[in-house]
Amino acid sequence: MKDPARENLAKLLRQFMDDSAACSAEADVNVAERILETHPAPLPSPEMVSTIKALMIASAARRHRRIRIFRVAAAAAATVVLTVLIGRYNAPPATNRPGVSFASIIPAAVWDSDDLAADDLDLAYFTSQIRQIEAQMRAVEAEETETRCTDSVGELELELIAIETEFGKGW
Amino acid sequence: MYAGRCYGYFYRLTGDRDLSDELLSELFIKLVEKFGSYKGGAFESWLFKIASNIFHDHLRGKQRRRKLLDTHRTQVEREPDLNESRCSDEGQERLDRLQVHLGRLDADTRDLILLRFYSEMSFKEIAEHRSEPIGTALSKLHRGLKKLRELMED
Repeated sequence: MKDPARENLAKLLRQFMDDSAACSAEADVNVAERILETHPAPLPSPEMVSTIKALMIASAARRHRRIRIFRVAAAAAATVVLTVLIGRYNAPPATNRPGVSFASIIPAAVWDSDDLAADDLDLAYFTSQIRQIEAQMRAVEAEETETRCTDSVGELELELIAIETEFGKGW
Repeated sequence: MYAGRCYGYFYRLTGDRDLSDELLSELFIKLVEKFGSYKGGAFESWLFKIASNIFHDHLRGKQRRRKLLDTHRTQVEREPDLNESRCSDEGQERLDRLQVHLGRLDADTRDLILLRFYSEMSFKEIAEHRSEPIGTALSKLHRGLKKLRELMED
C-alpha cells in the first residue's frame, strides 16, 4: 500500500534506535507489511455500497432540512424580537395611555348611593380590580428598564393612593 | 475507493462481515454529518480518525465487546480446521490465517498496525491521534508486526 511516510521510516527508526537495530526493525516492518498486502481483506458487497450511498443521501437530506428549519425558526424569532423592540420604542408615553385613570371605573352611582352594604361590595370589587391592575403595572415596571415607564408606574401608584384616600373620605 | 479500505480496516479489526457492514454504514453517515468540521488537510487521515473513533465507541459497548471476544475465540478455536482444509482453498485459508493471527495480537497493537496499514497516516499523525509519543507508537508497531510475521511464518 502506498505510504507517504514510509520513505522516512528508516530515518524515523534511527531517531529511537541504533543503526543495526533500526535496520532490523525496518526489515521486520517491511516484511510484515508485505504480508498484509498479500492478504487483502474482503471488499464490501455492491449491495452494501448501494445501501450506504442511499443512507448518505438520506442523511444529507435530513441535515439540509434541519438547517432550513433552524434558519426559518431563527428568522421568525428575530422578527418577533424586532417587533417587540420596535413596539416598545414607538409606544406613546405612559401618561397618555388610555385606561391609566382609575376614576373612570368607579360609577358615579357609588358616590351618590346611601346603601352602605351594597356599596361595600362594589368597593371591594373595585379595590380588587385596582389591586390587579397595580400588580400588572408592577410586572410591567419590573420588565421595562426605561425611566419613562418607571415614572408612569410611579404616577399610577400615586393615583391609586389618591383614589383609595377619596374612598376613605366618602365613608 | 475509500469504502474498500475502510471496510478492510473494520473487517481486520473485527473479523465479522456483518459488523464491518454496520460500522462502515455508521462511518459514512457520520462523514456526512461531520463534513462541516473538515478543515482541509489529508482527507484520508480525517476519515480514518473518524473510523478509529467509531470502532472504539463500538468497543465501549459491553455487549458488543463480548460478542467481539466470542468471535475471536471462535476464530482461534477454528484454526486447526483451517489447516486441514488448506488444499481445498489456499487463498481463502491464507486470508483466514492472517485474520486468526491478527486476533492473537492485543487489541491496541492490532488497531495500531491496521490504522497504519489502511489509513496511510504518518507516524506523527497516528501518535497524535492515539495521544501517545511517536517513539511509543513506533515501538508498539515494530513489536506487533514482528510478532505477526513470526506467527505467519510458523
